[in-house]
Amino acid sequence: MTQTENLVKRLPTEMGGLDAGPVQRTEHEYAPWEKRCHALANILDNHKIISTEAKRRGVEALGSEMVEKLTYYERWIVAFANILFQKQILTPEELAIKMQEVAARPWDETAPCGETSAKADKGKTAA
Amino acid sequence: MSSHAHANTPAPDTGDAVPGYYEVMETAVRELLIEKKVIGAGEIRQMLEVMDTRTPALGSKIVARAWVDPEFRARLLANGRATLEELGIDFFEDTQLIVLENTDSVHNLVVCTLCSCYPREILGLPPDWYKMKPYRARAVKEPRAVLAEFGTVIPDDVEIRVSDSTSMIRFLVLPQRPKGTEGFTEEQLAALVTRDAMIGVVRASNPEMKEKSR
Repeated sequence: MTQTENLVKRLPTEMGGLDAGPVQRTEHEYAPWEKRCHALANILDNHKIISTEAKRRGVEALGSEMVEKLTYYERWIVAFANILFQKQILTPEELAIKMQEVAARPWDETAPCGETSAKADKGKTAA
Repeated sequence: MSSHAHANTPAPDTGDAVPGYYEVMETAVRELLIEKKVIGAGEIRQMLEVMDTRTPALGSKIVARAWVDPEFRARLLANGRATLEELGIDFFEDTQLIVLENTDSVHNLVVCTLCSCYPREILGLPPDWYKMKPYRARAVKEPRAVLAEFGTVIPDDVEIRVSDSTSMIRFLVLPQRPKGTEGFTEEQLAALVTRDAMIGVVRASNPEMKEKSR
């Protein structure tokens, strides 16, 4: 079997039956932005813009290196951006400009979901 | 210049003085979608509120009810989604819920080998280990070894059925009612049902019985 054959036969997200180490029973308090990212996924699904299945394909399309190295919601938000570019709902340029603008702001002004974020933040600090 | 202003800005109580790249991306995508009126301004906050109501406590109540009400259990097993919709639980479009009943001869385990499909409507967000490689890779190949890592030993004469979720089909395990709970109220029973028992990695157990048997 060639080395590349495995890449063809198995997509990066397809893990069933592979060898792996013991299950680490890790859990973490979801960060506010992770929860918002999840809420965004649900909303985009409700609006029939990105279905659960399209989201999974979007993550797969990131390729094995990103699937391996990015965290769960990091993969989601990057996949959403790519899908929104493909659907011409957003352009890469718009996103780049907006990200610069967001990054330059005092950070406490960037959470319009104030109450929920503040609650979750406290949990995180305590943990 | 902006980096200076940034560094001097007092951080909110997140503990993160500077937002990460992906957090910035999430904020930017969300704001652009709202500016373009692709999504409504209040939708994310409303969805966060809905998500906060979805916790394993909901699943525990459903299991306890199935234990005390045979007619409800029969309907739940026949059509999980329709039965729970009668209780006012909303499901995502086209998502089916299959309830898997554990018995003396069958133990059920739920996994999503492809991603992280999970009955979020009744259990909330999945634990990290459910989304990570070791559980996803091995649950379908060596379920007994995986269960043992959760401290669950299933006798060899009990069949283990592993169900692999998809975006359209989600599973909930209906654990066996623990022994010695005959006089328990529905509320007391619900307290014995953990999230992990509804994924199938542990049994529902009666702590009083455990102490007696040891």
